[in-house]
This record gives sequence, structure tokens and C-alpha cells, in this order.
Amino acid sequence: MARYGMALDYKNCINCKACEVACKEENGVELGAEKHRIWVGGNNPEGQWPLLDIASAAFLPSQCQHCDDAPCEEVCPTHATYYDENGVVRVNADKCILCSYCMNACPYDARYVDDRTMTVDKCTFCSDTRLARGETTTACQNTCPTKVRTFGDLDDPESEISELLRTREHFSLKSHLGTNPKLFYLT
Amino acid sequence: MSVEVSRRKFLQGSVALSVAGASAISATNLFSSEHASKHQSANGRIPSTITTKTSTKEAENVPFLCGICVNKCAGFARVEDGIITKLNPNPYFPKSRNMLCPRGNAGIQTLYDPDRLKYPMIRIGERGDGKYKRVTWDEAYEAILNGTNKFKGIKQILDEEKDNRATIGYCNGEGLSKEGFEVLVGEKIGSPNYVDEISICLETTLGGYVNTLGTYGEADLNNADYLIIAGANRAEAIITPDTMDMFKRSKGRGLKTIVLDPRFTNTSAKADRWYAVNPGTDLAFVLSLTYVVLKEELYDKDFVAEHGIGFDEYKNTILSSKYTPEWAAEITNIPAKEIYKTAREFMQARSPIYYQGRRSVFSKNDFQLRRAMATFQALSGNLDKKGGLVYGEKLALPKEDINAPIYGQAQPRFDKEGIAIPSQKTGSWIVFRNMVLEGKAPYKVRSMFMRKHNPLAGVPNTKKTVQFLKMMDLNVMIDILPSDTTMYADVVLPEASYLERTSPVSSYGATEPAIVQRKASIAPLYETKTPEVIYKELAEKLSKPLWEITKKYDEDVQDDTEGMSPKEILAYYKENGFDLTDPWEKPVEEQNKEKVVSMYGEKAWKILEERGVYYPHIEEYHKQLNPNESEYYPDNKKKYTTQNDKLKVHFTLPNLAKKGVDAVPTWHDDYKFSVPEGQFRLVTGRHAQFTQSGTTNNAMLRDLIPTNYIWINQRVADKRGIKFGDKVEVKSNIGKVEILAYPTEKIAPNQIFMLHGFGGSSEKMEMAYGMGANDALLIEDKIEPVYGAAVMHETNVEIRKV
Ligand code: SF4
Ligand code: SF4
Ligand code: SF4
Repeated sequence: MARYGMALDYKNCINCKACEVACKEENGVELGAEKHRIWVGGNNPEGQWPLLDIASAAFLPSQCQHCDDAPCEEVCPTHATYYDENGVVRVNADKCILCSYCMNACPYDARYVDDRTMTVDKCTFCSDTRLARGETTTACQNTCPTKVRTFGDLDDPESEISELLRTREHFSLKSHLGTNPKLFYLT
Repeated sequence: MSVEVSRRKFLQGSVALSVAGASAISATNLFSSEHASKHQSANGRIPSTITTKTSTKEAENVPFLCGICVNKCAGFARVEDGIITKLNPNPYFPKSRNMLCPRGNAGIQTLYDPDRLKYPMIRIGERGDGKYKRVTWDEAYEAILNGTNKFKGIKQILDEEKDNRATIGYCNGEGLSKEGFEVLVGEKIGSPNYVDEISICLETTLGGYVNTLGTYGEADLNNADYLIIAGANRAEAIITPDTMDMFKRSKGRGLKTIVLDPRFTNTSAKADRWYAVNPGTDLAFVLSLTYVVLKEELYDKDFVAEHGIGFDEYKNTILSSKYTPEWAAEITNIPAKEIYKTAREFMQARSPIYYQGRRSVFSKNDFQLRRAMATFQALSGNLDKKGGLVYGEKLALPKEDINAPIYGQAQPRFDKEGIAIPSQKTGSWIVFRNMVLEGKAPYKVRSMFMRKHNPLAGVPNTKKTVQFLKMMDLNVMIDILPSDTTMYADVVLPEASYLERTSPVSSYGATEPAIVQRKASIAPLYETKTPEVIYKELAEKLSKPLWEITKKYDEDVQDDTEGMSPKEILAYYKENGFDLTDPWEKPVEEQNKEKVVSMYGEKAWKILEERGVYYPHIEEYHKQLNPNESEYYPDNKKKYTTQNDKLKVHFTLPNLAKKGVDAVPTWHDDYKFSVPEGQFRLVTGRHAQFTQSGTTNNAMLRDLIPTNYIWINQRVADKRGIKFGDKVEVKSNIGKVEILAYPTEKIAPNQIFMLHGFGGSSEKMEMAYGMGANDALLIEDKIEPVYGAAVMHETNVEIRKV
């Protein structure tokens, strides 16, 4: 068993959305503007042309944080949301009754409704596709042109991600909430 | 940093621009999961849903080369039960190093696009109205040869033109099977009138560098430490490997990046400094950098002494022209002190690169701009070495001998008017088209053979291109989608997409050279055929009848064959190349194998078949370093330095001066940026989720970018009462379009921007139709004077809210 996480060298991100497309093709995600498991946040630069603040225009890739203490899991009345053996937060579509408690509980707004199944969907770290086939990559990580993403086993001290987290400074989003995300942003 | 990360905020915010308006298609999107998707469809080879979840079943992984843009990134197609369910990057190719961009990932949707051309068709309506009838391949070839009651066949045309092969024009966009089309129509059928994408693309860039440095080179961005990037937007117009290297080290991580762009782009967002340069004035910027460097004697004197030619004249001209930063500041909109700083920093850097750029010709002075960039780079001495512009090497592949016939009656090409270096092979789209249209060509051009090319979207002044195509007696199109241009074809031949065909093996030259092969992942869908099969079959059909016409009109052939027996004539026909079929006697697969085995042996072929990539010692050299990255060649085996003494820098070009081209890059006052009050300079560009007009119909990409907007300065928009999503009319001297507005501070008050490739007029591309505006309707058909390339950014427009 592994404890999967992802480190994001977010300064590399060019907001190209290769990750989003790869995710959709890999996992058969529904098309549509609001239907995506991963996205890239960003801001328009502040200021007036031509004096725009470059630093204010950063891009921040995001998705389900696979919290170690996941509020979504806590509130789910049917236990549709669960931690799998690799620490990945998953949703069992058969159990999901679309009460949308988890959507409200998630501080990262990581969940959406799949109109085809009428259940909640979100990033799974490709658990039922790539990982189930024995691959150890996610579709988004694999395809990214500027190699923003490093996916791997946090419990394995030899893994690339462990090495990165040991040697590079990083932060997690909304860490004050105590959700203990397994997405790490490298600075 | 306060970047908004929540999905909801993200959708509400202005970054939602690219997804605003999506998406009609999600409503019709079918259920897709491992259980539900049994890939049912009419013939069992087309997935029943738009996105298909990959499964844990056995799958084949077939190496392919992406065909969406020019990069040809390598990948593996995951094929489950004969359906391509996913495209994954190929870690063995040093150029695309385990990446596929969003377009590459969405390539599946090209293949399974419901609007694809599926069968050969013959026009039964009027040109442009989309009325066709489905025919067999043989009927289609037959119609090309003999025509129908709606249009003439090539036989009749050539007979009427007395075997003047130049009456056939032809065009083809970039791609691996382009060469075969050039062989078919150019070398074998014998037409000299070829136009391709280069004269609407990067011709002056290549020309400027080749004339100055002998070659275009490649920027070694992995090892550079200072970068000026102007006229290129690598974050959004992705080019491998540059995009991959550039942004991993920007933002204070080793590669100081200076971006010049009239717009604030995603590339600008990665810059240390962004200069909002006035369109078309980059030349003044480079000249003033050069002035500072020469004046302050900051250049690499040893390098210049060793490799420079005509340096003194160059130096004197620049210095006496007084291209001071103060002078340039007024023209370029870049403060003088920034120009001083940039010039000095560049020369002080260890490995500085002024990025060569790509894509289209922006302004009339583009050739001189590129020359000035190349010479400025040379002043730093950072050429032909690690971290500089490098030249690399290519792994050799045998070339086929083409037995090209000589047609005595064929006239030469004519599109040379007003051009200093007319290209013999690819000509000038605009000059060629306009001369035919205006009756200035010395003979009639009566037919266009087209493949994988959409001049209605790519060549400025669409109205003229439509008229031009309407003048023809016969238009033939080989393509994948029913593009705007395809709608003007008389005979349409549907081509297999890049995932359905094995393409000619290709060699990629660079610091880490490799040979790559695209293999067919699945058999061609519907009745489509691979280009090479089409060339072969068309050649078979045309060979004898066209030969009969040559015999009738070509006196040389008559003299040669005088008194020959039919058998001898047949031998003559074959020996002299009049048999058009010989280049395709062997299928591509066989040709590839022969080429590779003859050069590199059986083992190399096996590796290429399995991995899609081969280079000597690949098994020893290729090392996976981490989940994302590999090493291809050990650093001491990379081809950083290949020119050595051969390297020459032509600071002046006296030979070109004889043709009226400035020998030293020079600024002329009519190059100045000027936009009449109340008007706007139109700037166009590309986007990461979108390349050319072909990708607008891609369901996945369309979902991300359904339409193009006009970027207009926020304050100007406010004054005119234009809000996000308002419809505005944009009008130039030659045409007008309607398009939705995107007010933003990311563009200057006197400029507007729109993405290229939208606004398709073909109703047969149902997803793209009616979305956005086609910039080619607005861009005036001006040419730059050195190559006759289309100038893309010198059109002023008016806008009005509707
Ligand atoms: S693929 Fe990589 S660079 Fe592109 S948007 Fe995703 S994380 Fe950013
Ligand atoms: S990010 Fe949201 S959906 Fe994901 S585990 Fe945390 S709380 Fe749950
Ligand atoms: S850059 Fe993207 S579209 Fe172009 S070849 Fe590579 S993957 Fe394909």
C-alpha cells in the first residue's frame, strides 16, 4: 500500500490545460465548462496597461487535495466517500445519493456533479484507471509540458516526491483548516 | 500571492473567459464508463461516447506522432478493442520528452469527429454551397481526370492548354505526407506553381537567420541564463522543446526572461520584465540594443573578428544612424533606460539568447528584424555553443531518387513581382493568387490541387481567395475535415487522420538527434485512405491519359519517340518518368523499413517499431531520471558545437543590396507604428488549446475555447460602452466581422487582438460553424518585399458595438 500525494512546481505552470484534457480523456470525464476534476486558478494582472503587475498574474493548478483529514468524508451520510488503501479519497458512485453535503463541506470546492450519473465526481488520482492497471503515474502528471506535477508515494522515503518535499520549501492550501492535504505546492 | 483556486471563483472570474459560453455539447454527451461503454457503434470501430474511460483490459500501445500542430510530438496510442481510448506521451523522443499538450491529448476527437470527411465526394451544387454526392474512389479519380457536367477534368484542361502543366496550381500545409504530394503534383505531374504555408508563416524568420548565420538554429534554453523573447508566445503557442525548457527555469530560477509583446500573455506572466512594445517596431528595439552594445564596445570582439563578415560596415552604419535608446523609446513604447539595461545585461550574461521566434511575418520589415536579431545574438558570441543558439545534427536517412519527367510545354512560375528573393519552390501565396485573380499571370491557372490546407482561413483577404477558387475549372481537395476551403472543391478525397496511418519515417535534427516514426494505431475509418495510397491511386488513374496529352503537344517527346514501336514507347514512358506511379510502388511501411535497416540495421528498426524513436546507442543512453524526465544523450555526446570554423556571421549582405534590400538592417520612417485616431491595430495569435482552423471543430478543445473574442482595452471599452460578451463589429479596408468583446487591461488602447482560426464558414463543421470571427477576412493582403510573405499585423480596423 502506498500513500499517494502530489507535489506541484506551480511556478512552471503555463495554464495550458493539457492536464485537464488528459484527465478527461483518461477517465471519461464529462465535457462541459464546469465539469472537470482539475483546473488551473489564476488572476488577471493588477494595474493599468502598460503598468501591469506581473507577479499578480500567477497560475495555480488545483484539484481534490486528498486530505488526510477530509471534511467531505466526515459529513458523508452514506459513506460513499471513503479513503482507499492508498490514502486516496474516493467516491463510491453506487452509494452516493447526491445529498451534496460533501460539496458544501469541501473547503477546496473540488467536487462537482456528473450529470450522467447524477453522483458526485472529483479527482481520484486515476485510481480506477492508471493505478488499477499497475501504473504509478496520473494522466495529468504524465502529460504536463512543463512538468509541474510529481506524483508518488509519500511513505516511500526514496520516492521522487519525498525527495522533493525534503529538499524544497512548500506549502499547502488553506492549511489552517487542518485538513492535511496531500497536494503540496513547491516554492 | 492571492491566486484564486476555488472552482466556483475560477469559473466566475475573468479567467473563465476561455470557457465562457460552453457548452452545447455537454447536453448531448453520452454516458461513459467502463461498464456502459461497450464501444458500440455502426461499424464497431467508433466509440459510442465523446470521452471514453480507459479500462484495465489488455491494450495495445502504438507509437504515433501527433499531427495537430507542426511539432510532431511522440506518443503512444492506447488501443482497446480497436478503439483509441487515450493518447499518452512517449518518453523516448528528446524533442517532446514525455509530454503532450492539450491539443495533442484531444487528438482522439479529431479521429472520431462526427463531421469528418468519410467518403469521396463530387460536387453537384454550386461552389461553396456544400452540395456533394457520395461516390466511389474510382468515380472520384475519374471525375478528376474527365470532369463531370459541373466542372472540367484535368485531361480537358491540359489538352486545352496544350500540356502546359503550369496551369495546375497546388498547395499543401505542413506535415509528414506533404513531400509525397509535392512529388505527385510538382515533380511527376509537373506543375511549378506550388504555394504552401511558409509564405503565410515563418518564411522571413528562417530567411533572416539563414542569410545571416547560415542556418536557423535552435535555442538551447536548458543552459541559457538570459532570454529575450519577442514575437513568440511560448506559453500559449506551444513549441517543443522550447516551451518545456523555458518555463521550468523562469521566475528567478536561472533563466532571466524579458518578454516583448503588445499584449500581456501567459508568457508575459512568466517574465521578469514585460515590455508592451508597439506592434511592428521590434526592429527599432533591436537596433537600439545594438547601438548601445557597439557604442559601449560590449560585444565579443574575438568572436566577431573570427567569424564576422562585413562587421565594420555594419558597425559604422548602426552608429552613424544614431539608433539611440532615446530614439527607439518613442517608436517602441519601451523606456530608454530599460533598453540600456537590457543591452548591457544581455552582453554581461553568461549565455544570453535573443529567441529567434517563429510563426508569421508581422510587419513589412520582418526580414530585417530577423537579421538584426541574428546579428545582435552574434555580438554576444553565444552561437554554436552550449547555452546559445546551437545547430545540432541530423541522423541521415536515404533519399529516394525521383524519376521526374521534363515537360517541354510547362511554363515557369510567375509570382515574383515586387519580391527580392522569389522562392522557386514555394512562391508567395498572396502574389500568386492576386496575379491570377487580376489577370496578370502570363498564362491561365485553371486548377488547384489542394491538400491539408485551408487558405480561406490562413491567407489574408478571404474574399479574394474565394474569387480565386471560383475562377478555377477544377479544384481537388484531399483533407480530413470539411474546411471552408474544402467547400470550394469539386472533388473531395477523404484522408485518413494521423492516427490511422503510418507516415514516412522522419529524422529530427538537434543537439539530440533522433529518427521517429508514426505508426497507424488503427485502420482508416469509413472509406478514408492514407495520403500515400491516394497519391498512388491518383497517379495510376492520371498516368496514361496525361501522357497521351504530352505526346500530342510536346515536340521533344515527339522527336524522341519518332519511329519507336509501342513497346519502345512504353519503355521510354517509364524510363523518363512519365509513369507517375513509381514513387509509390512500395507501401510506406516497406519504404520505412528499407531506409532504416539500410542505414542503421535490423535492431534499429525493431527499436523504432516498438518505441517510435531511434537514435544510436538509445538503449545505453536513454535513462529515466524521475517520473517526469529522462536523459537522452549524455551531456558530452550532445551536439552543442557543430559549426566551429564553418560558422560565419554576415553582418552585411552586399549581394542583397543589389536587389534593393538594405545590406545592414536599417530603420525607415514609414515603419513607424501609426494608427489613425479612433482606429486600432489588429494583432492575431495562437492559443495553447488551439492551433489552426482545424482544431475549432475538436469537441474537447471546443469545450475549452468555443469561440474567439476581441481583446479591447478596458478603458476604451468603458468609454464606448462595450462590456464583456457584447457583440462588436470589426471593420478593415477589406472586410468586416462580428465578434464578442473581451475588455481587458492586457492590451493597449489603440490595439485589438483576436485568436486566429475561428469564424469558419463551412456549415459542415458543425461544432465550429458560427463560432467567432475569421481574421483572414480582415487582414489586408500586403506582402513583405524580400520573400513576398504575407504581413499579418499591419491592418488597422474600426470597431463598433452592434
Ligand atoms: S498541464 Fe501543466 S502547465 Fe499545463 S495547465 Fe496543467 S499543470 Fe499547468
Ligand atoms: S479536497 Fe475536498 S473533496 Fe478532496 S479530500 Fe479534501 S475535502 Fe474531500
Ligand atoms: S505541441 Fe501539442 S499539438 Fe503540437 S504536436 Fe505536440 S502534442 Fe501535438
